[in-house]
Amino acid sequence: MLFYSFFKTLVGKEVAVELKNNVVLTGKLHSVDQYLNIKLTDVQVVDQGRYPQLLALKNCFIRGSVVRYIQIPPSEVDTELLQDAARKENAPASAVSSKA
Amino acid sequence: MASTLAEWTNKQVCVITCDGRSIVGIMAGYDQLQNLILKDASERVYSPDADPETVPLGLYVIRGDNIAIISDRDEEREASVNLDKVRAEPIESVVQNIG
Repeated sequence: MLFYSFFKTLVGKEVAVELKNNVVLTGKLHSVDQYLNIKLTDVQVVDQGRYPQLLALKNCFIRGSVVRYIQIPPSEVDTELLQDAARKENAPASAVSSKA
Repeated sequence: MASTLAEWTNKQVCVITCDGRSIVGIMAGYDQLQNLILKDASERVYSPDADPETVPLGLYVIRGDNIAIISDRDEEREASVNLDKVRAEPIESVVQNIG
């Protein structure tokens, strides 16, 4: 759930989503769900010359399973906080197993 | 902040499938797994050497596993490009990691 919560904080920001079929879409993050399915508004496809088929896309829903990368503006992320949160997310499980 | 497909019911959508196909139609229904029902569906086959071909498909069910992108169609942007004359390489298939 960590990354779901993380992406919720980025709603409204411009992101670039690279898919596993190499298509890159940029747009404003409208919403995200627990599967990290992404809805982008006002989409532009990067490299329009290669993908004219996608010119007419405006608002799109991207299935989480086909995402390779989500590129986010560095100013929007507190990487220290994110690292700490990720560490904490993984720590309790090891603490429990060492007690048992 | 749920991402749902509700806003597109009974609207023209463009679906890009995992094998790189581009299918347009009216979204008659959907479910949580992104399985879709498309009415009056047709596939637009793009090629670098020939004009695009439109294959009518009628009533189509697409399994959610196979879907990469579901999008609406912007009329202004569509009008700015004559889609009947567009030459393009086909979209690649989604590479899924195996093993």
